[in-house]
Amino acid sequence: MKYFLFQLCVFAGSAFGQLAWETTEQTFNSKPQDKEVVAKYKFTNAGPKPIKIQNVRTSCGCTTAALNKTDYAPGESGDIEAKFTFAGRTGRQEKAISVDTTANPEQPTILKLHVYIQETVKIEPEVVLWRVGEQPDPKSIHIVIADDASAKIVSITSDNPALKVKLTEVKPGKEYEAQITPDSAAQPAAATVMIRTDYPPDNPETKYAYARIK
Amino acid sequence: MRLVRQAQLILLAALLPASLTAAFHPRRPPWFQPALAQGEEMLPTVLAWGDNVLWVDARSAEEYGTDHVPGALLLNLESWDQLFPKFLDGWAPGKKVVVYCSAGTCELSREVAERLRKNGISSVFVLKGGWEAWKTRK
Repeated sequence: MKYFLFQLCVFAGSAFGQLAWETTEQTFNSKPQDKEVVAKYKFTNAGPKPIKIQNVRTSCGCTTAALNKTDYAPGESGDIEAKFTFAGRTGRQEKAISVDTTANPEQPTILKLHVYIQETVKIEPEVVLWRVGEQPDPKSIHIVIADDASAKIVSITSDNPALKVKLTEVKPGKEYEAQITPDSAAQPAAATVMIRTDYPPDNPETKYAYARIK
Repeated sequence: MRLVRQAQLILLAALLPASLTAAFHPRRPPWFQPALAQGEEMLPTVLAWGDNVLWVDARSAEEYGTDHVPGALLLNLESWDQLFPKFLDGWAPGKKVVVYCSAGTCELSREVAERLRKNGISSVFVLKGGWEAWKTRK
């Protein structure tokens, strides 16, 4: 089926004298310890004339795109290698690589790279809220460490002394609970809670949670 | 017999202005109402909410920088940690939050909306048709 679709793309490409791409979209699920993903986008010059790849641009400085050569004869194949370096990013990431060719200079081909980067330290919820005038009861934030990791919370601090934070270990190395208590909820207030971990050892992660009285 | 003919004439007389209204009236109701997914809203509904809306742009910073709904806050999953506190500062309880992305099929707006709801932000909606619906509004 995949082969048939590729052949169909080649046919479509030849009809318009463009590059025929095996796929223009790829999806990856990464683990917390991964630092980057590399995706190859294969193509064939399906037209009757040589095609030059004039420019390859990425949507983010965190993504590079490498090309072995720029000129492709009819029937010749090649690939663009995209490397996305996470550099602390987590969650769902969407990157685009724009390819300009002489075959269709007005309409670049957009290659898409979807990556889901699993979080080592997950904060739920990321914010606790009080309405102005509400009882200043404590509210909790759960801190959960990913299955294949073990992390300690080295410190937890609130940048607003009127919103105090207290940490409890639920399961050693795996689960914690941070309780945030405002002195009063009579006035609007805001706090950022900084959660410092010891994982990964070479570059320990710091996470943030928020408290708002609105 | 005469009564039937008179009724037919009245119907015919009414048909002409009714057809013209259906074809050309700027606020004519649509023939087909597109189905809305849960948590989605159409642009006319959102516009009817007036100032009680906080627009959230779930597209990339580059797209947001090129153009966006006036007053919209940038909040995407890519830079969530940096943007979420700014969203919290701009948000107020009671305001309806409307998230949009770059096309009707874009999943990012749904994911941003879901993450906001998980964080206890109420009244979060996704704009049906996304940015394109805003751009082509009449």
